Amino acid sequence: MAGRGKHALSFKILGECSTSKARASAVTLPHATVEAPVFMPVGTQGTLKGLVPDQLRELDCKIMLGNTYHLGHRPGPDLLEKAGGLHKFMNWDRALLTDSGGFQMVSLLELAEITEEGVKFKSPHDGSMMLLTPEKSIEIQNAIGADIIMQLDDVVHSSVSGPRLEEAMHRTIRWLDRCIAAHKRPSEQCLFPIVQGGLNAELREKCAKELLKRDVGGYAIGGLSGGEEKSDFWKMVKVSTDLLPKDKPRYLMGVGFAVDLVVCVALGCDMFDCVFPTRTARFGCALVKTGQLNLKSKSFAQDFRPIDGSCLCPTCKTYTRAYLHTLANTEAAACNIITVHNVAYQVPSVGGWWPLCWALLFLSCQTSIVLILLTFYFFLPLVLNPVNEICIVYNP
Amino acid sequence: MKYTVEAVLASGGRLGKLSQTSTAGTIAMETPMCTLFTKGGSAPHLSAVMLQRISQVPEVACMSLGSIASHHENVREFGKGLGEFSAMKDKVIFTTLHDATAAVASGKNDKGGVAVWGKGGKMKLDPQLYMKVQEAFCPDWFQALSDGDTDKTCGKKRLLKAVDRTLDFLDDIVEMKNESEVLKTSSLIGAIEGGYSVEERRRSAKETAARPVDGFLIEGFEKGHSSVDLFADEEFMTVLTETMVHLPDDKPRMMDAVWSPLQVIRAFRLGIDVFSSAYPHTLTEKGFALTADYSLPPTSQPAKLELEGSKENSASSGFYVDLNDKRFFESFSPILPGCGCYTCANFTCSYLHHLLNTSELLAYVLLTIHNFEQYFKFFARLRETGRQDKLSELEQSLARQEGGQREDVVR
Ligand SMILES: [Zn+2]
Ligand SMILES: [Zn+2]
Repeated sequence: MAGRGKHALSFKILGECSTSKARASAVTLPHATVEAPVFMPVGTQGTLKGLVPDQLRELDCKIMLGNTYHLGHRPGPDLLEKAGGLHKFMNWDRALLTDSGGFQMVSLLELAEITEEGVKFKSPHDGSMMLLTPEKSIEIQNAIGADIIMQLDDVVHSSVSGPRLEEAMHRTIRWLDRCIAAHKRPSEQCLFPIVQGGLNAELREKCAKELLKRDVGGYAIGGLSGGEEKSDFWKMVKVSTDLLPKDKPRYLMGVGFAVDLVVCVALGCDMFDCVFPTRTARFGCALVKTGQLNLKSKSFAQDFRPIDGSCLCPTCKTYTRAYLHTLANTEAAACNIITVHNVAYQVPSVGGWWPLCWALLFLSCQTSIVLILLTFYFFLPLVLNPVNEICIVYNP
Repeated sequence: MKYTVEAVLASGGRLGKLSQTSTAGTIAMETPMCTLFTKGGSAPHLSAVMLQRISQVPEVACMSLGSIASHHENVREFGKGLGEFSAMKDKVIFTTLHDATAAVASGKNDKGGVAVWGKGGKMKLDPQLYMKVQEAFCPDWFQALSDGDTDKTCGKKRLLKAVDRTLDFLDDIVEMKNESEVLKTSSLIGAIEGGYSVEERRRSAKETAARPVDGFLIEGFEKGHSSVDLFADEEFMTVLTETMVHLPDDKPRMMDAVWSPLQVIRAFRLGIDVFSSAYPHTLTEKGFALTADYSLPPTSQPAKLELEGSKENSASSGFYVDLNDKRFFESFSPILPGCGCYTCANFTCSYLHHLLNTSELLAYVLLTIHNFEQYFKFFARLRETGRQDKLSELEQSLARQEGGQREDVVR
């Protein structure tokens, strides 16, 4: 089921679950063939929390994210173009994905105002009013040169409903057409449209059906992960994936908690991203099957085990929790070291929990894949090993 | 620890061999050399895996007590010493009192003990607690407890007290070391005090040398890291020279200071064998990269121009470049072409400038790699130049390069 050749992306399904919508696939992009389901770590400003690209390669990471809003400011599209694109600039030869920049503007900047033209915002640097249009977003993303780029969408918080939500959905479709028209490098970069519609199933359906009329290489599902009820969130993912074609990859934006990943894989999503694993490392928190270990906590001062005994990452092979406890309380090096583990935890074949997910996929299990995975990987460990220090740091 | 002098140079300084034998085997080192500067038991900003990307990393890891002493009970519980605890088990572990890059909050030492400083604040170490910490850490070398909180402003009375106290601490420590199973094979490094008093320096050197120590750490010229160029003062060199006279030849002499390559050469010529690698770290923290040219005659373009007395392009000459500078925004070449380090092989000045500009952690990782590699390379070059007896030429070349950069690096 390879995709048509005219997009900078081809998609091949390698195996399907017989009961859920989960599938294993290969997404071929200009810079890498990515095996999905895949978690994509976020390297906001052309770097990922002190890790060099070689370390990401060693962790079997094939694709990472960059943020258009940040990169558009610094170093800016002109410089990135001169450098030969972000790949060359940061010395990363595998795949990249950039967002549209719209989400950051709305979430980071208080003064953002959305009109039909685009997102109007006050420059954080000189205070002048600036405008991010769909055309401008694509222009910057063309300069950055990522393998997958995103349309500019009208993002509203998932708690918003009524006419504003409906307006946002329709505007997102109008902006998609402007993005497609503005896209100058379709053979090198694949543009993804975004299914919007908040928590309204009807709007999501309408939006998805509109997107299907356009010729694109893959689809994103947006506007979720904003702290909505799990049941609403899963329902909206299901509504979206029910309509999206099977022969194109589906990217669920901003979702990366392990439990959500498993459920949404079962609902047919292929690609995920989240700043959480890398951001939480900065606070000394390491991800484990039972949640997180806050390594700054005194309870680890004499814990001479690795973060996760079954993890194959360099951090778990080298360091004890006790030493990381010492380091996390004093030195910046702790952040890199914990990040290595947290990225490994989310990447197949290294972190320890994806392999079973894969095995089950290929066995085409008869019982619900969701239930089995949840039982083995989340509920059981929680019951067996409830003493771990859970880190409570909320990073909006 | 075993030290032998291989050659005494006519231009000052000596070439030596330092060896460390443990159950794992013997590590042979050549002096002049530097130790690996660490923070909290790790190379600053680097994981163990990233440290492996640097070539010629020193065999000795220098770990100051400030940030780790408070964890000694955890290390004792671990039971295999500080080296294995901090994932540095292949290194010779050398514990010192103070972080070479930190200024010491003055006036906190007394007869009963010495204060060290970490993130958690002050920790007062008396000889008993000090030895308890060392027993937990089980270092290969350790500095004796000392009162080095002196500088040029200190009067005779204060210096007398510093020397007396340090000798008293040493006596206590020698006694406890003799009774300690764990520290029996560790080497004890005696501290030489006395500020700028030739008389007190002489007394400190003679008395310390008379006790069972394996090497000497010379301190007390500045209160921690002061940013003062000690070599600008004739008196410093006189006092240091006078101190050396009273130290036996067959033991290494160390100084744990933040010194540029030029300052290292000067101290080496006065008889110092073992140095810190804190200097490249202070450059990294400011976003600076070492670019000094150690070849004779210098081959790099800026250094050559400097040699020919050309004023042109002198902005880019000198020991280091400031990568925060806007002129690197569009510079797609490595920091130092031909450097050979991991950073220069993979990244451009423009990217490093961007990382600094956005306060990204990777800036400091990459600068640490380059600056360490260059500094370690300098020590290899220093030994080679010493063997060729061309130290004066190297010193002159570096002095000329530094001339292009009058601003003090470490301020
Ligand atoms: Zn791990
Ligand atoms: Zn270099």
